[in-house]
Amino acid sequence: MTILATGVSGHLAPIVCDLLAEKGADVVGVDVRPLPPGRAFPGEFYTIRYTQRRIAEVFRRHKPKVLIHMGRIRGTDVQSSSYRYNQNVLGTKHLLDLCLKHDVKRVVVLSTFHVYGAHQHNPIGLKEDSPLRASQIFPQLSDAVELDHAATSYLWRYRRIETVVVRPCNIVGPSLNNMISRLLRLRNVPTLLGYDPMMQFVHERDCARAIQLAVESDKWGVFNVGGEGAVPYTAAIRLAGGRPVPIPHVVAYPLVGSLSRMRLVFPKHLMDYFRYPTVISDESFRDTFGYAPHYDSVETLRSLRAPATVGTR
Amino acid sequence: MLEGLKSFLPPALPPDVMTQLREDAQVNSAGYDPWGLHVETLAKVLPAARFLYDRYFRVTAHGIERVPAGRVLLVPNHGGQLPFDGFFVALAMVLEGRPPRVVRGMVERWFPSLPFVSTLFTRCGQTVGDPRNCVELLRRDQPIMVFPEGVGGSGKTYWSRYSLQRFGTGFVRLALETKSPIVPVAVVGSEETYPSIAKIDWLAKLLGVPYVFVTPLFPLLGPLGALPLPVKIDLYFGEPRVFEGDPDAADDDIQGMVDAVKGDIQRMLDEGIARRADLSVLNLLPGGRPPVGGRP
Repeated sequence: MTILATGVSGHLAPIVCDLLAEKGADVVGVDVRPLPPGRAFPGEFYTIRYTQRRIAEVFRRHKPKVLIHMGRIRGTDVQSSSYRYNQNVLGTKHLLDLCLKHDVKRVVVLSTFHVYGAHQHNPIGLKEDSPLRASQIFPQLSDAVELDHAATSYLWRYRRIETVVVRPCNIVGPSLNNMISRLLRLRNVPTLLGYDPMMQFVHERDCARAIQLAVESDKWGVFNVGGEGAVPYTAAIRLAGGRPVPIPHVVAYPLVGSLSRMRLVFPKHLMDYFRYPTVISDESFRDTFGYAPHYDSVETLRSLRAPATVGTR
Repeated sequence: MLEGLKSFLPPALPPDVMTQLREDAQVNSAGYDPWGLHVETLAKVLPAARFLYDRYFRVTAHGIERVPAGRVLLVPNHGGQLPFDGFFVALAMVLEGRPPRVVRGMVERWFPSLPFVSTLFTRCGQTVGDPRNCVELLRRDQPIMVFPEGVGGSGKTYWSRYSLQRFGTGFVRLALETKSPIVPVAVVGSEETYPSIAKIDWLAKLLGVPYVFVTPLFPLLGPLGALPLPVKIDLYFGEPRVFEGDPDAADDDIQGMVDAVKGDIQRMLDEGIARRADLSVLNLLPGGRPPVGGRP
């Protein structure tokens, strides 16, 4: 079976690809970025933008039966919102159209819990049918919400493709280089004075296994994926080996605003995730796919300072 | 000096109770449940809370053994500006409950925007009053506390004390949906902690809070006036009521059950007020002694 995976120059996708290759799948990789120097990929690899027509040739040549779209470009990596919109929204639609045309049987799309938005009214344990507030609160996240929306509308419109949309909580681990992992690896980690929202963390290996389960099953739908439970932000910092440094929010918001314009810190629109809880419920994913995380919250957070298992971060 | 203060304060929770509370809440490896309850933090603030409970307000809980095990909705009357009534009921359950239990109170939706307090309340088991939170907590067999009167009850002025405001029907629907018993609770005394004589609507709007109140002492005496009056508090836990029916029935069909609970609370309030000592100083305030049976 041939599996086409996007986003393989990142840090999570290679873990997923290795898991699938071990099981005997032919994995073909695509990314808008070249592979990091020194990294080997278990199958053929192409550097193509998801919007380019050239990507059709990958479908023609390899005839994949499964697409795993892990290629969302994060606002923490690329600031240009038009580039992100093109790749994340138009690129995703392009890939899904090609899946229809080339008879792909199964599509797994990696979205994020960020689409629910951080809001003081959020109940704990957001289900998959909760409103996607993010684009209303933070217009900068609208490309992530639209990517998710593109995938879910394909899910309902074209039922001959089995589509799974996965919305994981914060993914952390020794190999990852995403914003939350970098933040929790700091010695002194900024927090908002007086606020300590509950946050969820899933270990990179657990998340990769969850994606593998979604690839290998015949179930479809939209699913949240969480770890063992939720922990307050400051407890997560301490478990990861850092020290919380509280900053009053009246200072922090404008400060992060100006620093992020200079690209020194993460974007300002993510600040609310450190102020209000966005706790998801993955009950449906556990029930449907028989998923249970191997790593508990404590192990997950402690693993952050361990040496990377895949490539270099 | 700190040691002296510590010996003055009553002891915190015994270790076996801590273990039982952690098990009841089904905490994770880090010691938290998804809503943010942390039994260790709760145990840390309990000695101070216990001082208020035992010595400042001299709370007496009557009939607390009526609260059944497993999922349950505690439904108290609401009054006295700041939600001290919820605080007393929750403290009674953790200090005198058989077995001790952490009550999950439902707070106003604007509450999480308050720094510090919201974090502390969350660690002690309180959460935003969203129906989805209530359903999930009841499904996990937690005792939850809801105030069907909402801010309409707590924000009353002194002369409407102990007259129950309009009850929503949501709590009964919740009980029907999750098959949970309802325990009516009457809190006698909380209305006198802050005898509010006026509300300042424009300031409330400016601050983005439900109401701003004025008492004969606050803001006149400044921070000292902001202290609640040390009124004796009596809590009356009623017989649990178990309703059966369609949670999606029309309001007319639900109203009877709502009125039954409201009637229980009003009856316990009337009896409790009649039984307690005369609050002569407070009776000098306009309105005098509250009439039995509430006001229309």
